[in-house]
Amino acid sequence: MRSVVMLAVVMVTVAGIGPLFAPYDPTAINIPNRLSPPSSEFPLGTDALGRDILSRILHGARWSLGLAFVVSLISLVIGTAIGLLAALGGGLTDWVTMRTTDSFLAFPELVAAIVIAGLTGGGTWSLIFALAVTGWMRYARVARGIGLSLKTRGYVIQAQLAGMSGLAIARWHYLPSLLPSLTVVWTGMFARAILGISALGFLGFGVQPPNPEWGSMLLDARVHIRSTPLQMIWPGLAVVISVLAINLAGDALRDALAEERDGP
Amino acid sequence: MLELTKVSVKRGKTPTLRDVSLRLPAGQTLAVVGESGAGKSTLIATILGLLKPTSGTVAWCGAAVRACRPALVMQEPRAAFNPALSLRRSVMEPLRRGPAEGRLERLCAGLDLSAEILDRRPGEVSIGQAQRVGILRALIAAPPLVLFDEPLSALDAVTQKQTARLISDLQREEGFAALIVTHDLGYAVAHGDEIAVLKAGRIEEIASPRAFALAPQSDYGRQLRDAAIALGSLEAAA
Amino acid sequence: MIAALAGLLLRAVVVLFGTALLTFALLWNSPGDPAQAIAMARFDALLTDDVIDQVRVEAGLDRTFWVAFLDWLGPLLRLDFGHSSVTGRPVWPDLSNAMGYTFPLALAALVIGIGVSLPLAYLATRRPGGWLDRASVAVATLGTAIPAYWLGLLLILIFAVHLAWLPAMGARTPAHGILPAVTLGLGVAASLTRIIRSGILEARARPFLPALRRRGVGSAAIGRDHVAPHAAVPVLTVLGLELAFLLEGLVLVEAIFGRPGLGSFLVTAIMARDFPHVQAVVVLTALIFVTVNLVIDVAYRILDPRIGGRDA
Repeated sequence: MRSVVMLAVVMVTVAGIGPLFAPYDPTAINIPNRLSPPSSEFPLGTDALGRDILSRILHGARWSLGLAFVVSLISLVIGTAIGLLAALGGGLTDWVTMRTTDSFLAFPELVAAIVIAGLTGGGTWSLIFALAVTGWMRYARVARGIGLSLKTRGYVIQAQLAGMSGLAIARWHYLPSLLPSLTVVWTGMFARAILGISALGFLGFGVQPPNPEWGSMLLDARVHIRSTPLQMIWPGLAVVISVLAINLAGDALRDALAEERDGP
Repeated sequence: MLELTKVSVKRGKTPTLRDVSLRLPAGQTLAVVGESGAGKSTLIATILGLLKPTSGTVAWCGAAVRACRPALVMQEPRAAFNPALSLRRSVMEPLRRGPAEGRLERLCAGLDLSAEILDRRPGEVSIGQAQRVGILRALIAAPPLVLFDEPLSALDAVTQKQTARLISDLQREEGFAALIVTHDLGYAVAHGDEIAVLKAGRIEEIASPRAFALAPQSDYGRQLRDAAIALGSLEAAA
Repeated sequence: MIAALAGLLLRAVVVLFGTALLTFALLWNSPGDPAQAIAMARFDALLTDDVIDQVRVEAGLDRTFWVAFLDWLGPLLRLDFGHSSVTGRPVWPDLSNAMGYTFPLALAALVIGIGVSLPLAYLATRRPGGWLDRASVAVATLGTAIPAYWLGLLLILIFAVHLAWLPAMGARTPAHGILPAVTLGLGVAASLTRIIRSGILEARARPFLPALRRRGVGSAAIGRDHVAPHAAVPVLTVLGLELAFLLEGLVLVEAIFGRPGLGSFLVTAIMARDFPHVQAVVVLTALIFVTVNLVIDVAYRILDPRIGGRDA
């Protein structure tokens, strides 16, 4: 649990105060300085429009990490609600809901996100929509599984008999049991969202210029692979480090929870 | 009065209750006896409205049973409480507002529970204590009907006797109707106003405890009685 | 068994229908006027309202949703994907042409992925916790964090730009396929290594193995009859997931290396708002996906009759 809290703190810090350390305006165009190599003036060099790459990477954290955070939380809420609906509704509700989930899973998520983002016009909102709509299914499955096992627990039946409202039962009896597993799923989906956002940016369907987003920076840098190859190293490195950190935290959390369940 | 009329329940293809008819007047105790698999849990779930009967009706004073806010005491005392919450929170769940003046203290005293125990979590009390807190929760909102699902079977012999007496003392004070489901014939005969024998989802016979102990009407009832006498849980001359 | 198979099949059909309906609804409700987009793509500057309306009728965009859906679904059941709304040409020849580029690439990537991960996982588990084990886990963990588009660019940088050993862009010769296949294959290998490794370790830890050994069953026979089948179950699961990874990776890799193929076909179609093309790719992808998963589900039941499917 501590690792995930630490991770959240680090990520929020990077995305939150990273831009404060940016030496330049990430969108300031400076043609005379275009494609300059790393120097004391521009630590990571400049891009084709002479914008400082370090500043763009630091500001990009807000887009790449921040959007991924938002997207993974939205799909967490959608997925949990759908999974619990299936578990508690039972019968036909369960069947329809889970077949819908299967339908959504019967398609590579990123390809679906590309289609949706592309067709809804590109840009930040359609990016959020596309990734949230294609990212809720794992949460739904986990929430349904746990919901089914909780539904017949003694204390849930007692709460029902006591006449507690559905919302109160969800809050006090379901949420505490759901939270650990959902957090593990969430770390995986957070990482996937970062990859998804930069992939869509790289294809031109994501965050639109001049906003600095790591994937779209790679798209810009790709053209100059022969002249200034270093330019494409930085945004990629930023993606890899973020995803790696999140995956490692997720693994640690999963192991910690497994240990807690099975005893030390 | 709790009234079941020709209730049948099917789970999958096999029926678990067949044409069960029972009557439990207010303030009385009905003990339903049967082996595991006889359909006792299904019976409770059906009375509480957690399972819909395939046919037949279940009613409390002519209305839905849930409308009278019945309470349930469960077989596994600890599983009846959310492990993450204090016992006090769980006990208060059936109440809209806080408990009536002095009621909690009075019930606690009757159940031999100290107030301090309520601030613990379910994992931090003994099974016997947990079951008494379970009874406390069942009674806190003064329900007219309380169902007991094998209330003693998780307890040790000494605690069993003590808890059985607490239940019947409280019933005398509070005046609720009790439906006790048990496999323990001795307990049923000692505390029931009436005994119903359940076998494979069917009621074999209904009798007063005295009549049943002397001369069961069904073959199965006789087997149960003789086995209980042989085991010493029922006195031969009851 | 027959009933279970029929159930799986029915489920696959329901899922396919659901996907088709969702796709169609999405396209139908996508913002912007597709008729205008098509007219722009076709006639460029000569845009009058008459032209746009004519395009609307030609492309069947003036029908109601359900009429349009059924008009599309009927021929689709006979594998008739209709005509491109931009070029007016039938979809199928262009689509199968794109598949001709994509399938060999996917296959090569899968071969590379399995070819790298299987020996690596086997070597790693010979001494669990040893340096080789830890190193391969570390590399695999790193590998799963590297996005395909960046790995592709790095490989171009090293092998095409610096060393000039291999061509980077296009698909003219088989050599053009090497870098894309390696890019995708390494991605597959990264996740596969982790899963095969833990599969082998779990299978080995099964309690009955020491008993078999005591009874004098040879380790080769144990590996073949007892470890491999149990390690195969999680591998099956992951192959289903790998397929998704592969299809996602293909779109990106084809974009990086400028290869014609299903991915480029899809991206081009989205940009041009060529609905029949988009629909064709989506339905084809879903069909592949559902079929492979159906086969995996069936394989599950054969390998381990106790399992009632992956999510039962």
